Amino acid sequence: MSLAGEKKYKEALEVIYRNLPLPGTIGRVCPHPCEDACRREQVESAISICTLKRFIADQVDPSELDAPVIIPRDERVAIVGAGPAGLTAAAYLARAGVKTTIFEALPAAGGMLKVGIPDYRLPPAILEKEVGYITDTLGVEIQYNKALGKDFTIDSLMEDGFKSVYLAIGCHKGMALGLAGEESEGVLSGVKLLKDVALGDFKELSGHVVIIGGGDVAIDAARTALRIGADKVSILYRRTEAEMPARDEEIEDALEEGVEMEFLTAPKEVISKDGKTVGIKCFRMELGEPDASGRRRPVPVENSDFVIDTDYIIPAIGQKTDASCIDVKSGVELNKWGDLAVDSVTFETSRKGVFAGGDAETGASIAINAVAAGNEAGVSILRYLDGDDLAAGREPVEYAQKDFNKIPDKAEKIKRESMARLPMEQRLAGFDEVELGFTEEQALTEANKCLNCMVCCECYECVKACGAGALTLESHFEKPSTETFTAGSVILSPGFAAFDPSGLDNYQYANHPNVMTAMEFERILSASGPTQGHLTRFSDHKEPKKIAWFQCVGSRDMNRCDHKYCSSVCCMYALKEAVIAKEHAGDDLECTIFYMDMRTHGKDFERYYNRAKELGIRFVRSRVHTVNPVMDSDDLNVRYVNEMGGMESEEFDMIVLSVGLEITPEVVDLAGRLDIELTEGNFAKTTSFAPVETSRKGIFVSGAFQGPKDIPQAVVDSSAAAAEAGAMLASARDTMTKTAEVIPETNVVGERPRIGVFVCKCGSNIAGTVDVESVRDYAATLPYVEYCTDSLYTCSQDTQDSMSQLIKEHNLNRIVVAACTPKTHEPLFQETLINAGLNKYLFEMTNIRNHASWVHKDSPELATEKSKDLVRMAVSKVGLMEPLKEAELTVNQTAMVIGGGIAGITSAKNLADQGYEVHLIEKDSKLGGQANNLYKTYQEEDIQEGLSELVTSVETNERVHLHLDTTLDDVEGFVGNFKSTLTANGKNETIDHGVAVIATGATGLKPKEYCYGEDPRILTSLELDRKFIDKDASIKEANAAVFIQCVGSRDNDRPYCSRVCCTHSIDNALELKTLNPEMDVYILYRDIRTYGEREYKYQKAREAGVIFIRYSLDNKPVVSIGEEHLSVTVTDHVLGVPLEIETDLLTLATAIVPNKDETLANFFKVPLNEDGFFVERHAKLGPSEFATDGVFLCGLAHYPKPVDEAIAHGQAAASRAVTLLARETVKMSGNVANVDPMACSSCGVCVSICPYSAPSFALEGRFAGTAEINPVLCKGCGLCVASCRSGALHLKGFDTNQIFAQIFALDEAV
Amino acid sequence: MTEKKTKIVAFLCNWCSYGAADLAGVSRMQYPADVRVIRIPCSGRMSPKFILSAFREGADGVWVSG
Repeated sequence: MSLAGEKKYKEALEVIYRNLPLPGTIGRVCPHPCEDACRREQVESAISICTLKRFIADQVDPSELDAPVIIPRDERVAIVGAGPAGLTAAAYLARAGVKTTIFEALPAAGGMLKVGIPDYRLPPAILEKEVGYITDTLGVEIQYNKALGKDFTIDSLMEDGFKSVYLAIGCHKGMALGLAGEESEGVLSGVKLLKDVALGDFKELSGHVVIIGGGDVAIDAARTALRIGADKVSILYRRTEAEMPARDEEIEDALEEGVEMEFLTAPKEVISKDGKTVGIKCFRMELGEPDASGRRRPVPVENSDFVIDTDYIIPAIGQKTDASCIDVKSGVELNKWGDLAVDSVTFETSRKGVFAGGDAETGASIAINAVAAGNEAGVSILRYLDGDDLAAGREPVEYAQKDFNKIPDKAEKIKRESMARLPMEQRLAGFDEVELGFTEEQALTEANKCLNCMVCCECYECVKACGAGALTLESHFEKPSTETFTAGSVILSPGFAAFDPSGLDNYQYANHPNVMTAMEFERILSASGPTQGHLTRFSDHKEPKKIAWFQCVGSRDMNRCDHKYCSSVCCMYALKEAVIAKEHAGDDLECTIFYMDMRTHGKDFERYYNRAKELGIRFVRSRVHTVNPVMDSDDLNVRYVNEMGGMESEEFDMIVLSVGLEITPEVVDLAGRLDIELTEGNFAKTTSFAPVETSRKGIFVSGAFQGPKDIPQAVVDSSAAAAEAGAMLASARDTMTKTAEVIPETNVVGERPRIGVFVCKCGSNIAGTVDVESVRDYAATLPYVEYCTDSLYTCSQDTQDSMSQLIKEHNLNRIVVAACTPKTHEPLFQETLINAGLNKYLFEMTNIRNHASWVHKDSPELATEKSKDLVRMAVSKVGLMEPLKEAELTVNQTAMVIGGGIAGITSAKNLADQGYEVHLIEKDSKLGGQANNLYKTYQEEDIQEGLSELVTSVETNERVHLHLDTTLDDVEGFVGNFKSTLTANGKNETIDHGVAVIATGATGLKPKEYCYGEDPRILTSLELDRKFIDKDASIKEANAAVFIQCVGSRDNDRPYCSRVCCTHSIDNALELKTLNPEMDVYILYRDIRTYGEREYKYQKAREAGVIFIRYSLDNKPVVSIGEEHLSVTVTDHVLGVPLEIETDLLTLATAIVPNKDETLANFFKVPLNEDGFFVERHAKLGPSEFATDGVFLCGLAHYPKPVDEAIAHGQAAASRAVTLLARETVKMSGNVANVDPMACSSCGVCVSICPYSAPSFALEGRFAGTAEINPVLCKGCGLCVASCRSGALHLKGFDTNQIFAQIFALDEAV
Repeated sequence: MTEKKTKIVAFLCNWCSYGAADLAGVSRMQYPADVRVIRIPCSGRMSPKFILSAFREGADGVWVSG
């Protein structure tokens, strides 16, 4: 229906042909039971599925369809009967490659379709065309005039080598009336009349013809009789018109054509004269009680006999199977009705390998049932030939109603179309087709009424469209399956779903195209999104001038979405989207963010927030309550309450909803099945000291399922989960590994270059702009190029396999790939070279996507020309490439952890648990770092208790070597082979280790403001914790307590958020309220940043009566020390007037300040940022390691973080370190410098210039005094090569002659 | 597009500018098709000889970026 609605008739016919090889035929004769199931009936009436099939079949000649791919098989199958069942089974088997022969008793194919359906209903040409497809295209052989039982038997077929036989002999024997005189001339059965007329054996009759019966055959016989000369035709039927089983359309046609009907009439006796029929004696009936079929049973009326004068009597009261052709000894049995007995699912008869179906099995039925039986028999026979279980998986499928597409409420009622018919005056003259089919307009109207109930119409156009072959018929049909694995540990990272705001009516998301979610807006900003990165709104594709973001949609909201928690990431992504939107649209775009608290608590996030403010992004602290469409425009009106409590109204072009994160019901269900506990927000429950371990031992969690979090935190967690799982499975390490087969490297030295060029289309990414074929053909003309090809996706696995094959086949020794960027794809292709036995450095990649097709979209010719240039340059270079060796380094499988705080201890513990020796260095005399001063976690766990367990675990672990009161004085070496000098109590010690973990922590700021240090009642957060730990009784005596937030954080000196202080102060405020419920507790803040499920504590604090007062950076609170009390004056934003609070306790939530250890940074050549925190390898994807190989990072030295995150980070750093420690050796790059000592003048420039100390003067040997390069230290930058005045230095892979080759190749005209 | 075709040779550092040129593609920035990129491992690899020979081969401009 879908394809027909799009006028794709050929494609539609291909879909129909999959199951029905006779669509034009069936589309004409079928009483269409399928239409009874059509749900369009619920709107107005069923779609004319049957007539549409006919329409589609009439539009396309089947010979024009793409020839099916048939893989021939050797087996032969015999089919007896060329009716709908036999033809369908034959078509099915032929498509599967089986050699199929049909034996047909009659001289024509079609069975009842040919001899039972009159030509005015089914023109013979239609049937012949469709049979022709089965014989000519699918290759089925039909042998005519070959009858079972006469010309052959089942046994003889088997003897002739047919592996299986399908009996589809139909139901051709007309039932007799059982009346006296029935043998008279002029009495012949309806089926015989129709058959003889169809085959041309019976040409005409005359006089009065009486038909007996009420089915389709009776009507067909009556209308046929009219067409071959009958003067008058009467139908006698023993019930009334309402009970007639014939199709209503047929009855109507018959009446129109002049057929008379005598209802409630039954025959009694044939009256004949001289053996010739002259009349029929009948009697009347009346309807009595309903019988088993629900129809009222006709009962004779006494003494109602009468005689009708007639010349012909045609009984059409039913047919039965003529089973006389089945030999009793064949082993095929009949059922009690005299039809062939079969298994109801497999259609196998009582004889193995012999199947039966169609009317011969069911008794006379409709043609489509025979088609269905034919398909089922095809399945069975194929399985029989393959030796598979015939019945498995073939139980009838119940389609659950709930899977259907919803019927639209406003579906328009459209009248069912009906076909035009042949005018009456043209009908009786011959056998011209009466029903004329749909016009195209009618067909399209009907087809487009389809409600698409099953969503996918299974047209498989997607399979055809997928050039990469990723989507196949098999994968399209894939269904969930269950597999069982044995695992020692499980890591859950099922992720989150974005909150769906459709239910929030006040934001108009479901109704208005210009209200979208932030996820949708991300796509608008993306170059590969629906607008190709062009910022337009949906309704009218206008560039918006004013966009508003609404924060906390689906977060921090108990009333409308049941998510009390903060989703942690939305503030930052909204900022990013606003900044990028401004970058895309320019300065005249106004971006406004409506928020409650701006939560930019991640590393470098506060700076980003400041930058956004500088860019002119407007921040409005308000939760919007209503959005309304603006009349006569696509704009939106936003109503909100401003900070002063006044109602404001403002119009925007577009609204972006910053939707929160939520755990899907499926994941909640999974948690239930795995028996792990969840939190209030449905996240996996973990503890602060085991932040990635679920409540069930051995099951770990990472990512947003552990709590709403951003990418770096998710990456940390996943590494941590791997570390914890690794510790559990340490004893099983290296036990189930597979060793890759090492392919011996071909020696190509001294060989003439034989270059292979592979040009990638990258789908349409390259081929859409660059003429890839011409680039390929051009490459073939270049010197030394031996082989060229192009492929749809050169990076796909199948292309890799074929590339490897081609290299061997054509004996290629240099490879060029013209595709995307070597920065991401070079290693993949190098792997292929290795698999083909080539050294991986005999390779050059050139980027014709990022540097040509994508950036010169509007100039395809110039992009093609540029691609040719780039290919030529790459070919010139690759010819000069040489096989390179990679230096191999042994890894010392010992780790050193610097810093014995909570992150460092955790890291050391995990490394030891994973089976490695660890040196843990702590400058203090005691382990624990800052955790020694902390009271409780936000989950109210006792930190001292947790810490002491952790300390004991490393103190008692024999693999952990503790170095307390120790400093690190020197570090030499490189990844795998560090040599560090430690000093303890004036004594030096040298330690060899393969990796280092930096966990040097940070400290709490001692502030110079708010009178700190002038009064014992003024404390830092850590000092207050210490009083809690010491159970200081004086605390609960206080009548009032004040906390000041952001002391030293988020200001000009330290433009970062210290992340932990909001939660910490709220926890401590609650602790004070617990100690003394009467105490007045105030928190003076700028934004409350209780991210994730810490938000619950914020709610709890407000419920407990803690008073939150916001202040701004330019109007900080003022502290004065009075005689009795401390006094804090703060200007409340809402009231706008200074408020003086008298207090007995003032806690300053001071910043976390990094140690800014430049010496350590220099030891390991790792960077510090301007705040003094270490800079990780990648802000998002590499948060636990450095860019320097073998050096890892965790804890506060990276950025402020609470206990749970510090522990996860410690585990994560260990996990990253193990990726190196687990290897015995590491390979260095082959792209390193080397010296030609004969040319070296020993000037020493290279030695002095190298930032990595790779060159040095050789101390011994023949070339003592000249430069030599340590390939392990060399980073391959080429600085020394460029600076060598003697030309003695070479850089492998980027040598001077190779770069010159590229330059020289520039010149040639394309 | 310029009427007279110019030829500019860009020596781009693998670690920064080459990545930036990749990113320009990812962002679908459009620029004239006159630039031919030669990837070098570091701008420290750059030798004056490369610049001179690029000019000798007919380059209208040389761009070293790193």
